[in-house]
Amino acid sequence: MDDAAEIDPFTASVIQASLVAAADEMFAVLRKTAMSPIIYEVLDVGTGVTDGDGNLVSSGAGIPTFVGVLDKAVQRIIDIHGSDAIRPGDMFITNDPYYGGVTHLNDVVIALPVFVDGSLLAWTASIAHWNDVGGRVAGSMSTEATEIFQEGLRLPAIKLFEDGEAVRPVFEIIATNSRLPEFANGDLWAQVAASRIAEKRIGHLVQVHGEKAYRSALSALFNEGQRRGLAGLKTLPEGTFSIEEEQDDGALWRASITISKDRFTVDLRGNPKVRDEPYNTSRDGAVISAQMIFKALTDPTLFANAGSFRALEVLTEPGTVFHATGTAPHGYYFETRIRLYDMLWQCLARAMPERLPAGSFASICGTVLAGEHPDTGRRYTMVEPQMGGWGATAERDGLDAMYSCSHGETYNCPVEIAEARYGLEVGYKSLRDSDEGKGQHSGGKGLSVCYRMRGNALLSAGYSRNRVPVWGLEGGENGGTNGFAVQHPDGTREDRAFASGVALKPGDEVLIDTANGGGWGKP
Amino acid sequence: MASSTTRVATDVGGTFTDLVCFETDENGASTVRTAKSDTTPPDFEQGVLNVLEKGNVDPGNVNFLAHGTTVVINALTERKGVKVGLITTEGFRDILEIARGNRPDFFNLHYKKPEPFVPRYLRRELPGRMTYRGEEMTPLDLSGLPGILEGFKAEGVEAVAVCFIHSYANPSHEQATLAEIEKLWPGVSAVSSHQITREWREYERTNTAVLSAYVQPIAERYLSRLNDGLASRGFNGSPYIMQSNCGVDSLESVSRIPITMVESGPASGFWGAAELGKLIDEPNILALDIGGTTAKCSLIENGQIKIMTDYWIEKDRTSAGYPIMVPVVDLVEIGNGGGSIAWVDDFGKLHVGPQSAGALPGPAAYGKGGKEATTTDANLYLRRINKNYFCGGEIDADMDAANSAISSVAGKLGVSEQEAARGIVRIANNNMVNALKLVSLNRGFDPRDFTLVAFGGGGAMHAVALAAELGVKKVVVPAGASVFSAWGMMMSDLRRDFFVTRLADLAEGAAKGIEALFAETEDQARAQFEAEGIDPTKVSFLRFGKFRYQNQEHTTEVLLPDGAVSDARLAEIEALFHETYEREYTYRLDAPVEMVGIHLVASAEVGKLTMAAQPFGEADAGAAQKATRVVDYALDGEHESIIYDGPSLKPGMEFAGPAIVEDPGTTIVVNPRSSARVDAYGNVHIELGE
Repeated sequence: MDDAAEIDPFTASVIQASLVAAADEMFAVLRKTAMSPIIYEVLDVGTGVTDGDGNLVSSGAGIPTFVGVLDKAVQRIIDIHGSDAIRPGDMFITNDPYYGGVTHLNDVVIALPVFVDGSLLAWTASIAHWNDVGGRVAGSMSTEATEIFQEGLRLPAIKLFEDGEAVRPVFEIIATNSRLPEFANGDLWAQVAASRIAEKRIGHLVQVHGEKAYRSALSALFNEGQRRGLAGLKTLPEGTFSIEEEQDDGALWRASITISKDRFTVDLRGNPKVRDEPYNTSRDGAVISAQMIFKALTDPTLFANAGSFRALEVLTEPGTVFHATGTAPHGYYFETRIRLYDMLWQCLARAMPERLPAGSFASICGTVLAGEHPDTGRRYTMVEPQMGGWGATAERDGLDAMYSCSHGETYNCPVEIAEARYGLEVGYKSLRDSDEGKGQHSGGKGLSVCYRMRGNALLSAGYSRNRVPVWGLEGGENGGTNGFAVQHPDGTREDRAFASGVALKPGDEVLIDTANGGGWGKP
Repeated sequence: MASSTTRVATDVGGTFTDLVCFETDENGASTVRTAKSDTTPPDFEQGVLNVLEKGNVDPGNVNFLAHGTTVVINALTERKGVKVGLITTEGFRDILEIARGNRPDFFNLHYKKPEPFVPRYLRRELPGRMTYRGEEMTPLDLSGLPGILEGFKAEGVEAVAVCFIHSYANPSHEQATLAEIEKLWPGVSAVSSHQITREWREYERTNTAVLSAYVQPIAERYLSRLNDGLASRGFNGSPYIMQSNCGVDSLESVSRIPITMVESGPASGFWGAAELGKLIDEPNILALDIGGTTAKCSLIENGQIKIMTDYWIEKDRTSAGYPIMVPVVDLVEIGNGGGSIAWVDDFGKLHVGPQSAGALPGPAAYGKGGKEATTTDANLYLRRINKNYFCGGEIDADMDAANSAISSVAGKLGVSEQEAARGIVRIANNNMVNALKLVSLNRGFDPRDFTLVAFGGGGAMHAVALAAELGVKKVVVPAGASVFSAWGMMMSDLRRDFFVTRLADLAEGAAKGIEALFAETEDQARAQFEAEGIDPTKVSFLRFGKFRYQNQEHTTEVLLPDGAVSDARLAEIEALFHETYEREYTYRLDAPVEMVGIHLVASAEVGKLTMAAQPFGEADAGAAQKATRVVDYALDGEHESIIYDGPSLKPGMEFAGPAIVEDPGTTIVVNPRSSARVDAYGNVHIELGE
């Protein structure tokens, strides 16, 4: 093809499909090679390709709230290092929300700049939850952390590889700072492998089609994302919609959303100040909540790139829980982010009840058990989110026992594998026996699980939506609350929502019940 | 009768039932006949008997009959199975409904979770519990069983599935429950999970048992009618049934666990490709089967197909689907065949498939009212397919309809008709290239080291362009490409794949347990084969181990060297694992290795076909030339091309592209700069030029 000619639409399609395939392949590699169950089983993982400037091009399967993380991480890496200092053979690592990490210290981003004939044409990046990055408690997520320093090793967007060579001291610092160094090392290499494989694919793609065609295909792709977003926006009612919602801890959150023909503005200013507890999120994290509801309403397909979110604007105020500054901790940022997502969802569901389901259990319900396997003596860390009920819609009942709206391609750990790997007993695992969430259409059922300990272990967990129940829509009833309890062999029982480092002994049971979804319409 | 042998394969597809018949005389010379007749739902066996008659095959003279059928997959996807009751461990009846909790279409808040095949009121529990090591923790209490079965009867349940937690490690509770069911409810269709698989993961195993029960009465009825129909027409053997693991199995055995037939259609084609590779000395093959609605591909390394138990139906990028934990050939299937519809989305982008025009209305050129352009219409427009020899001359191509369908796509895209038709072929090709990458590059294999074997009605039309894209240097189109699956069936062995989960550290002292597990499984296989009249000394085995670095989840399968597993050889096995792992994932770790389970392949030959090479005639293919026309090769441009008559091409003939070979069942597109020759078995080998 003549180089000067504009790229034909079919070549553009071929290049775009190959970039999606590359991100998918990264995901497949990571899933198969990771050491931590939370990566290979729960798939608390995201993979993506960006252009040379960090604009999101494609993302692999995984969880939707990680789709918007990698571009922000790459952009911050470019900011910090300057594009001149980024060279072929480099690879970067960050986990710090103040250095492009977006989420919390457990989520480690590895990003590789892809050079073809000397030009920086892409980044291949992944983010994955590591079991332990040090800090005050096993699993690194303490509900009692008051500063980010207590949450583990901070990796401030530094080089992991330089000139194609591993920067050994960084590997050594990482291994030394983790309670589970072999896991950290295994997960790290899995992410490196994922980036490298996509790098190869992109290099080949540019060789075959040329840099010019590659660049035009990307720009066509971003334009399509934008057009999809705008087309969806036109189907929404214009106006300003506001909400205030009380949280479990009594705090009052607020948001207002203004929809016009070409703009979707989420205003989060005026919210509570940043706290010395691990429930803060970076501004980037809050933006992701807004992206989620924007995408669900404008273009709920898997098609997503930088263009998809061009019509979205998010206003935050530095120093608030949605825009943490200083050294505030982030360990449980994901409960704040999902509460925000759920609040924005409720705000718009009231405005358009036919377009959105009623509220869901909407918590990660992260449950961490760290202990020693009673049969093998090996140390383990179980990190499990829980499933729960989804809200009913205008057309049908809600879904039973699904992972939260922040999750996606997330799989529960089979009972048979959990019992072998952790040496505990699963007493039961069933749909919750409760009829909360009634409506013209009823909310889906939550989950009930019982973990019975055979050895000693420490329990940490964080369940929001524990006091203020799941919201119904159009007169549908509320779906109840999430929570767990520790029950001892003598029958005593402590009900909890958040816990850190609770010592469990053989015979103790962790009893989990997650909420049903909200009902839709009067019962 | 002397030593003349007749072998027949019949394959029931969605639209047609195919027959291939090989007759080999006492001198080893063979003749081949094919026939096709309509598939006849719901009495599929009638179509088989019809096609035998149409092909002039006297069942009384048939020595070996292999049969493949879509009856199981159809019953599943059309929800035509029976009402199933499930019995499971106390506390776990919802496992089937909870499933894995995933939502692949993750931005979509209106996602629909796949509904379980057994509703909650038909899922019942029994007390009794095993540990992960197979020790009994709580004894089985069958006192509730009579009540459960009475309830099932009252609800009209026709089949019972049983799955208990950790039954893969110790099946005794399932066995006892099954025995009691047979006593309390004689004649009811019942299956327990350990009969199908000995691997862990309770949701997958439960769902597998449920789906097997769901199709069991239907498959059993079908197979017994087929058997009776064949016998009444004089067949005095027993048909062999094609399995998803590329082997055949006895009718009796398949009737008990019919779910193993679920992907038998594609399996026979891929097995055929592996067997063809042995014949023509091509051990490394990318096999591609393009039919009317889908394209399927699989990779064959060093003559070995790969069998896995990670198979799902109705799973795609937007739906979680349903797992079936049975041995299935490792394949990737995409909705891209000759009938796939080309469409332009709201944002002006062209897509091909996965929707298909099917057999009715079919491509626009069928003239049966189809208005939408399909890949076939684009191939006609570009004169790759001869409009005067459409479907082997059986259909008059309705070119007005085809042109107007293409024109409509072109209008939406704002391009010329020619550009639109080329675009459809390019997008379809790209979909297939990505599928071929999934089975090669994504598994750590470089497609340039492989030969592409293309079959099915549409394989040969796209193969050379796909090869060029992937850097593959050679394409082989087998003789009878459109009925190649049936040929593959005739080459199959009686084969069973056993997967058993058993954790073991790969350390000093572990060998004894591993060897015992293999030996025990081999004894079990020999006994099963012997019960079906196979001499146990004729059974051969392949041993695979499933390994991983300690703490990982996913395993890498490694073929173990011949001979008993001993401590002295563990290092050798571990080295093989490191090597295989590094090829696939680019790195290796200095970490302990553990075994998660074994995969044992047991097989025995049951009279497979021997192919005889034919002598080469002259190299000049002029005698087969029937016309010339200008053909559009999309990216390779338009060229005046020689058209060859497929049946007139003889062993030894050679010709160069640009050229087209027209066979009644398929069209071979030989792009410019490539050259072709016919081998001693009638296969066409195409070498790609630079």
